[in-house]
Amino acid sequence: MKLVPQLMRRRLIVVTGKGGVGKTTLAAALGRILSAQGRKTLLLEIDPRESLHQLFGTEPSGGAIIKITPKLGLQNLQPRAVVEGLVREKVPIPPIANRIINSPVFKQSVDGAPGLKEMAVLGYALRTVLGEYRHSADVVILDAPATGHGASMLAAPLDLAEAVSGGQLGEMSRQLADFIANPHECAVMLATLAEEMPVQETIELIALLRKRLGRPPEAVLVNGLYPVFPGKPPSRRGAEPPSLSLWRDRRAVNERELERLAGAWSGTMAELPLLPLTRGPALLDRMVATMETALP
Amino acid sequence: MSLGSLDQRLLVFVGAGGVGKTTLAAATGLVSAQEGARTLVMTFDPSLRLKDALGVGEEAKDHPVRVPEADGSLDVALLDARVTFDRLIRRYAPDAKAADRIFNNRFYRDLAGNLAGILEYMAVERLFEVQAEGKYDRVILDTPPTRQALDFLEAPDRIVGFLDSGAVKIALAPWWEKGGGITRLPFRLAAEGAEGIADRLVGARLLQDVVEFFRAFAPLYGGFRARAGEVRKLLRAKGTLFVLVSGPGEDRIPDAMFFARKLRESGHRVGPIVVNQVHPVVTTPGDLPPELAEGMALFRYLGERDARGLERLRGLLSPGEPMVSLPLQPAPPADRDGLESLGRLLTDQLG
Repeated sequence: MKLVPQLMRRRLIVVTGKGGVGKTTLAAALGRILSAQGRKTLLLEIDPRESLHQLFGTEPSGGAIIKITPKLGLQNLQPRAVVEGLVREKVPIPPIANRIINSPVFKQSVDGAPGLKEMAVLGYALRTVLGEYRHSADVVILDAPATGHGASMLAAPLDLAEAVSGGQLGEMSRQLADFIANPHECAVMLATLAEEMPVQETIELIALLRKRLGRPPEAVLVNGLYPVFPGKPPSRRGAEPPSLSLWRDRRAVNERELERLAGAWSGTMAELPLLPLTRGPALLDRMVATMETALP
Repeated sequence: MSLGSLDQRLLVFVGAGGVGKTTLAAATGLVSAQEGARTLVMTFDPSLRLKDALGVGEEAKDHPVRVPEADGSLDVALLDARVTFDRLIRRYAPDAKAADRIFNNRFYRDLAGNLAGILEYMAVERLFEVQAEGKYDRVILDTPPTRQALDFLEAPDRIVGFLDSGAVKIALAPWWEKGGGITRLPFRLAAEGAEGIADRLVGARLLQDVVEFFRAFAPLYGGFRARAGEVRKLLRAKGTLFVLVSGPGEDRIPDAMFFARKLRESGHRVGPIVVNQVHPVVTTPGDLPPELAEGMALFRYLGERDARGLERLRGLLSPGEPMVSLPLQPAPPADRDGLESLGRLLTDQLG
């Protein structure tokens, strides 16, 4: 089965992986590809320091949805704002809602309570595709926080569902946990570099997804690869320019790590090159073009 | 120059994830021990290769482990939130029964490991322990991989804030005692009302678990607040220096500068900014075989990008403010020797 047609049927796509592997660019490129094929897409960024807009050449939005095309929107989502929205919904009397939201107990709880922010973000995504808001989308692509955080984000509803036996929170977390565990509804895309630590984390994350959520990722995207080094290593190594040997050595690291990854993951994988462009619309255009040929 | 001339008792390596902080912290530890300082490296999430290179395994999660055959005295401790949390409870709980009550609590088992900032909180506990023991001349602390590297420094305050907040006080109020404690009717009615709302929202079981957890945990708070205060002081002490590690390239520089400023504003001493994994500037002649042309164009771009990043950083630093540039290595250090030469490369420029 081809990856893009498969992704066209999902309603939530979570792109996760270690910091610095290019998650945001990959998520944005997926958004461009799916929306160009007619899927109404909302790209969600969780990082409080906005960077998604740079790829589209737009201004930071401070939390509002920016329409890039009729089929593609992007939003920097503040988990706190979502939780506040929930309170306003449950407590329809504004002065009382304000008192709750401005109380120190509420503030500390939103910051400190385990899983609350994660649940808020995932709940927002779910309600968006279920059409419960004024805005709507066929699919939400979530540029998740770096692994560690990304993994705990995906497991948060399940953790909570197990700890909570009843009540509205219990029902909500159960519903979300089911949605995330369902491979027909939700895709988890793991982004990585073919380098030691990112690959190690990716392998751990694949195991964690299987164990905790009972499902594999949809695909692993290996980003930032140095190009294949052509030809045989020259015999007079000392005479070689330093960048040339660095190229060969770093590519060797890439190949070793790709092999290690292949040993742990036999599912869909795509290899994406390191692109000679700084973050911006030109980089996104190139990444879209690259993915269109590189995705299996 | 050497580390000895820095005379730092605590070096804190900070920076965004994926910039090689952990490797640099370990490499610096090797050099420090070699120079005769009894050294401890505290780290979070080393790669398998790094653990192999140092010769330490999982047992370092529980207590510092001596690096075998190191020159001088070098210990490594791996920080693991759950292991530290368990040990903390065993140590400070009034008796074994109280400890077991916490260990068997569902909230503790399923959720407490995910409490926001718990890893940072545990790092602070470990740091306090180590400092109080006075066994080491120098401690090198690697910080957790966070996008918002300031999280680490703010975590103790945030946790103390959370413990002091009404949420925990409410959980600790005698409302929840069935049949005991408060007998005055209005209070009891209020308590039952609150319990009813909470039950509807989160279910009675979780609530009971949370209440039980915070009660069992209560005797530990006071101590933690005091320890967190000590660590705050330690992080701002004269003998403490922050080493800020950044990735190369223009894109990363604003992040590094932002973090350096925040650190200084909150009273911390920032040492040199280390730009790691810098691609060399390409000086190849133009007569390369055509099959190399495209790849070399990429390396030319990367070399120029990283040079621009360094230039930009230099322009933003005040004169005399140190900056260290470390070249991208052919491969991550695979053994003690590789780690040590990386450590030398860094510490030679640190002084």
